[in-house]
Formats: sequence, C-alpha cells, structure tokens
Amino acid sequence: MKVSFKVNGQQVKVDVTPKTRLLDVLHDDLQLISVKEGCGEGECGACSVLFDGKTVNSCLIPAFQAEGHEIVTLEGLRKWPGYATIERAYLEHGAVQCAFCLSGFVVSTVSYLKNQAEEASEQEIEKALAGNLCRCTGYTKIVEAVKDLAEHEKIKTQFEEDWPYEK
Amino acid sequence: MKNDVTVLRPKNLDELDQALLQNTVQWTFVAGGTDLLVQKEKWIKATHLIDLTALPELHQHIEIHPEFARIGAAVPYADIIHHEQLKARLPILTRACSLIGAVQIQNRGTIGGNIGNASPAGDTLPVLAVLNAQLLIGPRTNGSFKRLPVEKIMAGPGKTNLAQNEYIAFIEIPWLQGEGYLWDFRKIGQREALAISKLSLAVLCQKEGTLIRDMRIATGSVAPVIRRHHKTEQILNDHELGTELIEQAGEMLKTEINPISDIRSTREYRKQISADVLKDVLYQWI
Repeated sequence: MKVSFKVNGQQVKVDVTPKTRLLDVLHDDLQLISVKEGCGEGECGACSVLFDGKTVNSCLIPAFQAEGHEIVTLEGLRKWPGYATIERAYLEHGAVQCAFCLSGFVVSTVSYLKNQAEEASEQEIEKALAGNLCRCTGYTKIVEAVKDLAEHEKIKTQFEEDWPYEK
Repeated sequence: MKNDVTVLRPKNLDELDQALLQNTVQWTFVAGGTDLLVQKEKWIKATHLIDLTALPELHQHIEIHPEFARIGAAVPYADIIHHEQLKARLPILTRACSLIGAVQIQNRGTIGGNIGNASPAGDTLPVLAVLNAQLLIGPRTNGSFKRLPVEKIMAGPGKTNLAQNEYIAFIEIPWLQGEGYLWDFRKIGQREALAISKLSLAVLCQKEGTLIRDMRIATGSVAPVIRRHHKTEQILNDHELGTELIEQAGEMLKTEINPISDIRSTREYRKQISADVLKDVLYQWI
C-alpha cells in the first residue's frame, strides 16, 4: 500500500506493507539513519521522531498511520538554526558519550522545549526525557544541558522565528 | 502472506460502522499502537486492521457538555493531560494519564486503548470507575450507541465484554455535582517511571462538614478485573473519619480484593499495601 506524508519538510510517497513500522520506512527506505532501533518495544526511545511536532516512538507506529502527517527526524532538526544551540549545550555540559541514544534525546529535548509551558524544573525535564534511555552518561549532564537551554531566551526565539516545519 | 492483510482507514463514524456491521471478518482495532505492536502475536496474526486515528471524530474529540465531558476513544493521553477544562474539573483523570508511560507513549497511546486492552494494570480504569464513566459502544444500530458503565467492560485479564467487531467510541464522564470533593490517585510500582503497577488506587469523595459522602474507591492490579469496592465505600459513607473507622475500612478492602502472586509482587504484599495505601489516603482527609 502507498503512504504519503511529509518528512523533514519534503513530501514523500512510499510503498509499504500493512505491518511495516514507521521506523523501518524512515531508517531503511528513506535512509534517515539517525532513527535507530534499540528495544523495538517503546522503552528505550532510540527511534524517537517528531510526529506533528511531538516526540513518539516510531517503532510502535504502523507506517500507514503517518498518512497526511508531518514527521521530523534529527536530520530535519539539523536544518534549523536552533540545532546549533542544542548541540552547543549538550557539548558544553559533557552530555554525550557513545551517542547511540543521542538522536532520540535531541528529538525529545526539542519536543519538550517547543511545547514547554511552565518554567523548567529538573523534575519536569527528567519527566520529559524519561522515555529515552542512556547507558553511558548517568543522565545528570543531559538534564543540566536541557535545563541550561530552557532557562535561556535564545532557543525560544529560534522556535518562534526560525522553526521551518508546520508543527 | 503480508499481502493478505487489509487496512481500512475510515474517515468518519458512518464509514466505520458500515464496515463493522457487515461483520463478515474479524477486525483488529489499532489506535496508538503502543500496546498492540508490543503484543507481537496479536499484531502478527491480525489480518484486518481498522485505524481509529483516521477518524477525527474519535482521535481529536473532547466535548464539554454542561452535564458531562465526552472524550473520543482514540484521543491520546497527552491531549487529555493538556486540556484546560479537564485539568480544572477532572484533575484525577489528568493525574492518572500523566503517570502512564513516558512522554512518547502519552503522545500516542489512547484512553480507549487503555480500556480496550483490559489490563488489570490499566491505569485509567480505576479512575474512570470512580468517576462513574460510561462507555459508548459502537457500531451504532438504529443510530445510537450502546451504553456500558466502565466497571462492566472487563471480563478478565486482557478480555472485555465487547462482542466481535464492537468498539469503544466515546467515554462519557459526568461532572462532579456540588462542592467539597476530595480525590487521590496512587500508583505503586517498582519505580516511578515506566513501571507497570503492582497496585493502583483511586479514591474520590465529598466532605460535607466533617461527614464523608459519596465515597468511591476502585483498585487496579489487585484483582482480575478493575472494580469498585462498595462494601468499603459503605463503611465510610455518612461517617466522620477517625482512626477506628479508617482501620476498619482498610480491613474491609482486604476482603474485597483478590490479588495474585506474579512476577511483580506476591498476593500477601498486594493485600497489605492496598489497605495501607487506602488508609494513608484517608488519614490525610481527617
């Protein structure tokens, strides 16, 4: 069956089987290899992508459900000027080690910062990232990096003025 | 084999009901997919899939009536959590939804899915039970949905009382009438995030002066089905909360549940914490 949707701003049409997961389409067919399979059952968050602007596990979504929706992966986030701000925060806080989990963390970070209504607390950030597992950093530095981002106006402006996607 | 799978993405309820009323094949409903795609066997064996996220009527529908809120079964938890009116008027529901899974699951998993999966550990079920929620069941015959109190939906672990090709369309929750409502929702698990409950407990009541009215108590994970505990409720109704009464209620709750020993906990532990957590909730309202 054919499925049409937007990926990183581009309209695509792919041929899938009914049981093909969104993860498989993104990683295998569209070669967006930042989207990784970790656990394959919605626990680890390595396959996180933005689905209409919100972080989801692409391993748990049948590809046909993407019809008409907007997907953004890490590759798409790199086209946004705010990505450099996030990259710098992660680097400055030493929040990156082996980096297998990193694309998922950045996607969930964006989802959190973009939709964040209240003032950031460590607890809120931990909740926002609870669906992403990291076996290297111990999380402290990742939370510090995201707190740093949330406390500065810059990233908010970059969402408001430079966000290249619909949602 | 893979080509033998049919997918239907109905655009509205009429299309959905039309397909289901024929009742010639067994359809598998998929909404958030956060449970279905993990239940490998069920997912692999499904030959006819109906996508409930294709219908805005079910996927994006939260209706505020003067008497009740009506929530589409395929509405994701996140939409409930962030809905201002629901947050203000049904905070116990917001709380239960915000304790399910991680953000990724909340963004995708749906309230109807939580009910339809009929897990004894389904976190919204005890809360919907104390809210006296009604389920509207389709497909419609003669233009109307069948109604079922949420308490009656479960037949056993993983089993509902829905017939083949029946589906949950809406969840209707009556607003609480009157002042002075107190509520609490507690979840005991291995850790706070992403852990399946060993016990969930929803308690709701009205405090009129010093007297307890309209006590409603429901548990999850401590019996094969989610249910209200009317005997314990009756002990508390029209009484003043005090040590003796609270201890009595705890003992009664132990007799009203029927937990199993499993990978997460033993039967004895579950009985004891059910009573202890209920007592802890009640003591804060003395």
